[in-house]
Amino acid sequence: MGLLRYTLWRLAQSIPVLIGIITITFFLANQIPGDPVEIMLGPSPAQEQVEAIQARYGLDRPAHERYLTYLAGVASGDLGQSIYYDRPVLDMILLRLPVTLYLTVSAFMFAIVTAIPLGVLSAKRRNKPADHVSRIVSLIGVSTPSFWIGLMLIIVFAFHLGWFPARGLPLPWADPADIRGAETQLEVIRTSLHHLAMPMVALGTLQMAQITRIERSSMVESLQGEYVKLARAYGVPESKIVRKHAFQVAQLPVITIIGLGLSTALGGAVLTETVFEIQGMGRLIITAINNQDYELIMGTTFMFGVAFVIGVIITDIAYAYIDPRVAYGDE
Amino acid sequence: MATQTDPRTDDGAAADDESGPGEIEARVGLRYTLKQVKRDTTARIGIYTVGFVTLVALLAAIDYYLFDYAVAETVWYNPVQDPDQVQRLLPPVGMENQYGPGVIEHPMGTDHRGRDILGRLFYGTRIAITVGFMATGIGLVGGTLIGAVSGYYGGWIDDVLQRVTETIYAIPFLVLVIAFMTAFGRDLTFAMIGVGITSIPVFNRLIRSRVVSIREEDYIEAARAAGVKDRNIILRHIIPNSFAPVLVQATLQIGVSILIVAGLSFLGFGAQPPTPSWGQMLSASRNYMLPAPTFSLFPGIAILITVIGFNILGDGLQDALDPRINN
Repeated sequence: MGLLRYTLWRLAQSIPVLIGIITITFFLANQIPGDPVEIMLGPSPAQEQVEAIQARYGLDRPAHERYLTYLAGVASGDLGQSIYYDRPVLDMILLRLPVTLYLTVSAFMFAIVTAIPLGVLSAKRRNKPADHVSRIVSLIGVSTPSFWIGLMLIIVFAFHLGWFPARGLPLPWADPADIRGAETQLEVIRTSLHHLAMPMVALGTLQMAQITRIERSSMVESLQGEYVKLARAYGVPESKIVRKHAFQVAQLPVITIIGLGLSTALGGAVLTETVFEIQGMGRLIITAINNQDYELIMGTTFMFGVAFVIGVIITDIAYAYIDPRVAYGDE
Repeated sequence: MATQTDPRTDDGAAADDESGPGEIEARVGLRYTLKQVKRDTTARIGIYTVGFVTLVALLAAIDYYLFDYAVAETVWYNPVQDPDQVQRLLPPVGMENQYGPGVIEHPMGTDHRGRDILGRLFYGTRIAITVGFMATGIGLVGGTLIGAVSGYYGGWIDDVLQRVTETIYAIPFLVLVIAFMTAFGRDLTFAMIGVGITSIPVFNRLIRSRVVSIREEDYIEAARAAGVKDRNIILRHIIPNSFAPVLVQATLQIGVSILIVAGLSFLGFGAQPPTPSWGQMLSASRNYMLPAPTFSLFPGIAILITVIGFNILGDGLQDALDPRINN
């Protein structure tokens, strides 16, 4: 199986999972107590109004019928209508998703760029001071709530030092006319990065710590491999052994942990967006829940699942790229 | 005689203590674990931290259930009883802010309603420890059962169970728990159940892979040939043999659960006011970050210390129980 066929096969494999996600979210949304129509129209509305709304959003039909309609809708790219915003759910998601992806992807970049050198250094200097420092940093990183890091960053760097803004996250490709204090696209990008720094660190710290731990243990193991001993016996310099012989092999478990970390990071984005008042998917789902906007709740939950599934597929492909045995199916 | 493949747990380790030189040490069981942990410095630090936090939680629980906060109220002034003397947002002792200097009665200062922060942290420990253990317990039992059945029988049962847990895993767990709590209830009970359900895949995967590898061992073959029922093989042989990695995972998972529940409380899902929980204290503190930054500081440190304790203990257990790393 080539890489392309492997990719297609992985995509096809994810379809049952996506249907499963829809089923779970539909079931949960259906269990939500309270009446969305009442929230919309206020208490004691006129009977005709209620019926009109119910008919419009299909709330008068039985659950299994709505489930099948919804499933068919999702298959054709229709996630339904948001009752609260009175707009298609997909529109709302497409408006908010870029911000969340921008934040999450940046957080991962930050995590990878800091964690890999830290982990390699730690493995190379095993049980020396540098290793201890790196291990303590990653231990604290996995044990600290991301939203608390966010609060502390705001207190220190926004309120006291005034270096970074405490709220909001404009996209780097936003129209300069929409961003206060920015006239050119370059200034928009600068403003965006300026806003990005703190939420990125808050969200990325946990990933950074997890990747450092895996990178370290994987490198320690890899540096004890027979091929490394052989290279040493041939007199290959230690720095070259680390770079050329041990490093690539050690990256497989790291890629796995990055894939699994996506779920945590996307969930963590809900908290980070709350702390920094960023209008992304996380805030969208909280708004949807507070307004009992069923279709929006289902749509956002589904999109979180889709983002995770796509992320896992990308890591699987990266895995197959580094270790071709995976794609060719002989283990 | 105890050998490495002895399916018995406690008996195996007990027999080992009396065994002479030349016998192979049993690497399973509670007693073996404890012996290993005692040797490992990291694991010991973890045990002390976890022990301390659990003790605090226990004291808070005793005061809450038996004395209705009576003990705490004599030690810590509770302004709810006396609204005239409320001192809001005081700093810790030795510091000063716009609301006045810190006082010795409130060593860590007061919150936005004048309640003692140290006192509320003390009670928050009870919530954190309870949710940590309960949620992990739910995930452990659910994941172990699903993983054991799935791995032991294989075939379509395995396929169905694995697809279902995979689906649960595919929704970011914070989002899943929020949706779950919206559907069933926003209080702490559902937070525990929700977090427990999301941790099922973790234990399921661990147990299933263990079962698949143990299933082919000779002593399982022997048990099956001797006519031992499947259920007994799973419960008596396979699960006890997976003891070490599960214990490590469960310890780490308690820390993770505490973090998730704190995040949920921060978003308003979980312990409802006035019940003191760390996440909810942090949520309340958001509005006072400028005048009273220490209000945001202490609950976070409490979470940090607790979770670090479980993580160190988990790492220590791993080192102590994994002979490869140990040597």
